[in-house]
Amino acid sequence: MLSFFLPLFILFLMLGLPVVFALLASPAILLWMNGQERDIVLLYRNVYEGMNSFPLMAIPFFMLAGELMNRGGISARIVGFAQAMVGHFRGGLAQVNVVDSMLFAGISGSAVADVAALGSIIIPQMEKKGYPKPFAAAITAASAIIGPIIPPSGIMIIYAYVMGESVAALFLAGIVPGILIGIALMITIRLMADRYNLPAAMQRATWRETGQAGGAAFWPLMTPILLMGGILSGVFTPTEAAAVTVGYSFLISILLLKTLTLRDVPGVLTRAGITSSVVMLLVGAAMAFKTVAALAHTPELLAAGLLGITEDPLLLLLLVNILLFIVGMFLDAGPAIIILGPILAPIFVQLGVDPVHFAVVMVINLTVGLLTPPMGLVLFATSAVSGLRVETIARAVLPFLAVEFLVILLVTYIPAISLTLPRLAGFVD
Amino acid sequence: MGLLLGLSNGLGAVNAALLTIGRWLGAICLGLMVVVILAQVFFRYVLSNALPWPEEASRFLMLWSTGLMAPTAFRRGGFVVIDMVVRLLPRSLATGLFVLLMVLAILVLWTALGIGWSEVTGLGGRFQMDALWAPAALDFSSWVKMPKSAMLASLLVGVALLLLVAVELALRNLCILFFGPDGLHEIPETIILGSGAE
Repeated sequence: MLSFFLPLFILFLMLGLPVVFALLASPAILLWMNGQERDIVLLYRNVYEGMNSFPLMAIPFFMLAGELMNRGGISARIVGFAQAMVGHFRGGLAQVNVVDSMLFAGISGSAVADVAALGSIIIPQMEKKGYPKPFAAAITAASAIIGPIIPPSGIMIIYAYVMGESVAALFLAGIVPGILIGIALMITIRLMADRYNLPAAMQRATWRETGQAGGAAFWPLMTPILLMGGILSGVFTPTEAAAVTVGYSFLISILLLKTLTLRDVPGVLTRAGITSSVVMLLVGAAMAFKTVAALAHTPELLAAGLLGITEDPLLLLLLVNILLFIVGMFLDAGPAIIILGPILAPIFVQLGVDPVHFAVVMVINLTVGLLTPPMGLVLFATSAVSGLRVETIARAVLPFLAVEFLVILLVTYIPAISLTLPRLAGFVD
Repeated sequence: MGLLLGLSNGLGAVNAALLTIGRWLGAICLGLMVVVILAQVFFRYVLSNALPWPEEASRFLMLWSTGLMAPTAFRRGGFVVIDMVVRLLPRSLATGLFVLLMVLAILVLWTALGIGWSEVTGLGGRFQMDALWAPAALDFSSWVKMPKSAMLASLLVGVALLLLVAVELALRNLCILFFGPDGLHEIPETIILGSGAE
C-alpha cells in the first residue's frame, strides 16, 4: 500500500499542488489509509528536525550574501574586469558574458541571480554592438548555469545536507566542471563567431586598463578565496564561512564601495529571508518524505527496476543522465535533488560510483535543466531581463545546451574531472 | 457574493497585517543569525573563548525566521509549483482545481496544526534547551533555561499562518470562480523564481 505514495505524489505535483504540500500530503494520506495515523506525527517531527540544522543555515547566509552583492552594484565592476580581459577576442562581448558568469559564480552561487545581475548590463551592451538579441540572451542564460556549479552553491548545500555528504568536498568537486563548461562555451562562441560573422572584436585593453578594472573588482573577487580558503584551512565550518561572507559582503558594499546604504538593509534581509524560508520548508518536508520513502522501500524497488534494465554502471549513468535531463525539464534543481537524491544516489554508490562524483553529475545535470522548457527557471529569468519570449531564447540556446550536455557526459565518464580536487584535499580516497 | 467577498477581503486584511509583522520579525531573526555566528567566530579566534550558545541560538532564530516568512512566500505565489497542466486548462476549470488543491493544503495544515499544538504543549516542549536562557524576572535578576516549546512553537506559528493564507487563497479563488475578480483585494506579485536555491 505504502509504495503507492510515489504515484500519488507525482499526481499531486502534476495537478499543481505546491511541492511542499505534495511532499507531505502523499505520504500522510497513505499512512492514514494504512491505519498508521500515529506515524503522521513522525512526519511532522521530521519536518521540524529536517529544518533544525546548523549546516543548513549556510543556505540563508549565502542567499543573503548574494542579495547584498547584487544590491551593492558589484555586477558592473565584474563586467568591466571581464571586458578588459577577453573583450578583444573575436565575439568579444559574448566571451565577456561567459567570463563574468564564471567570476560571478564564485560570489553568488545562483544562476537566477547571475541572470538578474549581469544580464541587465551585458545584453543591452551586446545588442548595441550588433549582436542578435536572441543570441545575447541565449549566451547569458547558458553561462548563468555555471553559478550553482562553481562554489558557493545553494544546490550543493542542499544535496550535501539531504545526502549527508561534505559541503567542502562538493564545493571543490564543482570547480573544474564549472570552469570546463565556461571554456566549452567560449570555444563554441569562437567557432560561431567565424560562421555567423559575430561583431568584430573590441580594442585590446592596455595593461593599465586591465589593472584598473581588476582593482575596481578586487574586493568582490576576493569572496571565493575567503570562502574556500576559510573552509579548506579548517578555520570555518561552511556555515560560519557563509556568515563571514555575509559580513564581508556587507562591509565592502556599505563601507568600501559605498554602493549600498543602511536604509537598503531591511529590504535585503526581507528578500533573502523570504526566499530562504521556501528552501528551508522544502528541505524539511523532503526529510519527512525521505523517511516514508525509506519505510516503503522505494529506493530498493527503484534500484531493482533500474538494475533489471542493466547492471553496467556506465550504461546506468547514461540512463540516469537522460532521466535527470527529462526531470530537469519539469522540476527546478533544488526540489529535484531533494526528491531524487535519496532515491538514486544509494543505487549508484552500491554500484561503486563515488558519492561525490554522483553528486556532481546530478547537480550539473539538473542545473543545465534550468535551461530547458517548459520549466526552465533561467529561461524565465532571461526572458524577464531581455524582454524576449521564452520560446525564442529556448531555440537560440540549443547549440550551447548541446555543448553543456557533452560536458555532462565528460564529467560523468571521467570521474577525475570532479574528483581530483577533493582527492587532493583529502575528502575522497 | 457579499459574504464571500467580505470574508475573503477581511481575512486578506488580517493576513496582510500579520505577515507584515512576520516579515519584520523574520528579517530581524535573519540579521541576528549573522551577528550570532560572527560573534561565535570572533570569540573563538580573537578572544580564545568558545561560546556555548551561538549554535543553538542561531538554529532558534533560523526556525523562527522560516516560520514567520514562509507564509508571505506562499501568499505571493512563491512556493514551487508545476503549473503545466493547470495552464492547459480553461480558466474556470483551473480556478476550480486551485480551490480543490487549497482544500487539500488546508487539510494538511489543519492536521499539522493539531500535531504542532500537542508537540508544543506536550512533554517534549517542557524539556529545557541546552544553552539558551531567558530572564525570569523583569529586573533580569534571575534567569531560567528556555523550554524547548519556545523553539517548537516556530513551526506551529508557521503552520498557523500558512493555514490562514491557504483559507484566504481558497476563498479568494472561490470568489473569482463564481463572481469574477472585481472587488477583491490586491496581493503583491511573487518575488521568487523557483525554490530560491537555483
